Amino acid sequence: MRVRRLVFGLLATAAPLCAQQAGVDPDEFLRLEAVLQSALDKAAPYVVTVETFGGTRRTLGKDGPMDGPAPPKPRQMPPKLDKDHEWRWLPPPAPLDPEKAPKPEPEKLPSPVPMPEPKPKPDRDDPKKKLGLVAGGFQQTQGKTSGIILTSDGWILLSRFALNLDPTTILINVPEVGTFHAIRGGEDTSRGIALVKIDAEDLPVPEFVHPDDVHVGQWAFALGRTFASDGPTVHLGIVSAKNRLFGRALQIDAYTSPANYGGAVVDIHGRVLGIAVPLSPSGRNAGVEWYDSGIGFATTIADIMPLLERMQQGQILQRAWLGVQLSTKHLGPGARITGTPKDGAAAQAGLRKGDTIMKVDGIDVMNGPHFQMLVSSRLGGDVCTLVVQRRRSDELFETGPITLLDAPWSEQTSGNEELPASFSLPEGEGGR
Amino acid sequence: MRSMSVVLAVAACLPAQKQDFGEAYSFDERKPKSRVEQTVDELLPSIVKIHGASGLATINAYATGIIVSDRGHILTLDQILLQADRTRVVLYDGSVHDAILYPADERLGVRLLKISPEEVDGELRPLWPPSEEEARYRTGQFVVSLGNCFRLAEFSEKVSATFGVVVGKANTALRYRMADVKYDGDIILTDACNNPGHYGGGLFTLDGRWIGLNMRLLDSKETNTMLSAAIPSRDLLPYLEERVLGKAREEVTTEKVPVWTGIRLFEQAGRRSPPAYVDRVKRGSPGKELGLRIDDLIVRIDDFSIRSCAEFRRVLEKYKPGDTVRVMWKRGTRVMEGEMKLAEEPK
Repeated sequence: MRVRRLVFGLLATAAPLCAQQAGVDPDEFLRLEAVLQSALDKAAPYVVTVETFGGTRRTLGKDGPMDGPAPPKPRQMPPKLDKDHEWRWLPPPAPLDPEKAPKPEPEKLPSPVPMPEPKPKPDRDDPKKKLGLVAGGFQQTQGKTSGIILTSDGWILLSRFALNLDPTTILINVPEVGTFHAIRGGEDTSRGIALVKIDAEDLPVPEFVHPDDVHVGQWAFALGRTFASDGPTVHLGIVSAKNRLFGRALQIDAYTSPANYGGAVVDIHGRVLGIAVPLSPSGRNAGVEWYDSGIGFATTIADIMPLLERMQQGQILQRAWLGVQLSTKHLGPGARITGTPKDGAAAQAGLRKGDTIMKVDGIDVMNGPHFQMLVSSRLGGDVCTLVVQRRRSDELFETGPITLLDAPWSEQTSGNEELPASFSLPEGEGGR
Repeated sequence: MRSMSVVLAVAACLPAQKQDFGEAYSFDERKPKSRVEQTVDELLPSIVKIHGASGLATINAYATGIIVSDRGHILTLDQILLQADRTRVVLYDGSVHDAILYPADERLGVRLLKISPEEVDGELRPLWPPSEEEARYRTGQFVVSLGNCFRLAEFSEKVSATFGVVVGKANTALRYRMADVKYDGDIILTDACNNPGHYGGGLFTLDGRWIGLNMRLLDSKETNTMLSAAIPSRDLLPYLEERVLGKAREEVTTEKVPVWTGIRLFEQAGRRSPPAYVDRVKRGSPGKELGLRIDDLIVRIDDFSIRSCAEFRRVLEKYKPGDTVRVMWKRGTRVMEGEMKLAEEPK
């Protein structure tokens, strides 16, 4: 014991000695500047500009759809994805035979059941809103955003935010290479990312860092190519947290906004940690309301390469939905079910009220939140096996493989989510 | 015994940590200072607080200025608060001076004030835009922004310093919503925050070079976000030389002649202007020479993104007949590019 104490004592005195020798470096920022700029130079070639044309205007957030627009239907993509594959737009539809043309349906008579009263719209003359105390929704403009090159044969990774307006034309401007017409590929709505394909070859490809190798507190530079004419824009920050949104994203404190959504978040070596996307932890708003607040998300890429392959085939990936309501009173072990909506996967698998889920794919469930964590990190279409305990029975039984469904798309129009205080600008001060 | 040793170790660490912390970040007299502190200390005497007229709730009666000559010239952003007889300048030492106004520069949106140097105790510490070489800045370069944001500094209190990086250089294609932003040249975007009151202050590199004059918070139409930006200091030179050094400025007057491309766009009546699809191209027109066809989508003219028919017209207003522009358009899935020589409308 005495020896150990001595070691501790030595360590404690050694630390300040080292610090004194190092002293204060007056030029620490100048040194950092060089590091930052070399990272920028390395990352600049693969950050691209995304320009969109046409589409419909939407408001995201408080007064608009919370999750952004609903995801599109899966697209038909040719399954073959080799390098020589030629991409063409879908062939034009065959001319309609007038005899086979569908007849217009007879007009429906008004239903005798009285329609429910429409929900009152949010009061625009709300005095709080007038004072700027309540942040309104985010009106997305038809502007440029950023993206990064994923493969050298022309797959571009960008933020779903860029496609929110459902544009009719997407152009990708690769620096020093040229401007290309892009075709939409698949999307992952749970991660806020989308793929498009351009007809180009030998593009510069970034190096992706696996999230396991990322440390909280390390530098994270958010690059974008929305404004700058001669190079990417940069915002500095650090990695604030890992495994956000059920292991899908890093949280960073670099400013993220429509000016760099879709752009790369890189480390000091110019390697990609993720791409900046608007997300919100609860999934209840679009995440854009938090722009420039110091809360930003970067979807990690290195760990989802198999998913990107699915997206290349045009698949729309969404958060998984088992379809159970959980008891908040039951503190574990296991998660107790208080209800199963009849169109959910759980109801179809025979789960019912009062059951307690003890295991998910062999992992012991501690409590409700743990169970939510285990399921929410999956995607619709994934398969899981549960071990369930029936009410008033000690017996455990195992369900067969349950295919999880896509989470139902909730276009909620109101929510009580707290926004960071810095977001609501007093009217007039900023000229808004 | 084990817990005892841990407690001892923690106790030994605590004073050590405190000492280390003090070494690097205390306010005690110490040398050397960090680069940021040095820069701020050197520059603060050249920054003044400006108080002017107010009246409406939305108009702030305060701003920041930069001393640009030892004869009392002070440069600031032209704002409504600058009214004759009501503009006062507070120097570094807290002394208050009445200022007279010089005519503003319409293009830059900046204005010179003058205080009488005789009433100043001590010498003024003027700044001047650096040489072209020294005014260079790079994306990712650290900067310090000085200004009296939200009128936090009163009397001899020093103005606020904010720290950040140059986010990037934005070209004129960046569109603002605010009508009172007149400047249309390249601007420096920064994340060193530009709040009300900061306007007219300076943006400096860590070695104290003056690279920009803080603009108002910009409301970008491109992204619908607020941006902090600065006018590059070199661009202020013509105005400063004219008003401070008395150099004659070349008057450039041009008569506006609308340009003609012979392109008619497909415009529907509606709330929003649709994308710029070509509807018809006149024979023998610049558009025909370029090779435009029906249903081509015009996407860019020089550096300006064209996202709607209205923008197409607005961008062309910036040119005069005889100018050559690079046009990019999309035909089917192909993106094409070419040069178009703008003409005058035939009689």
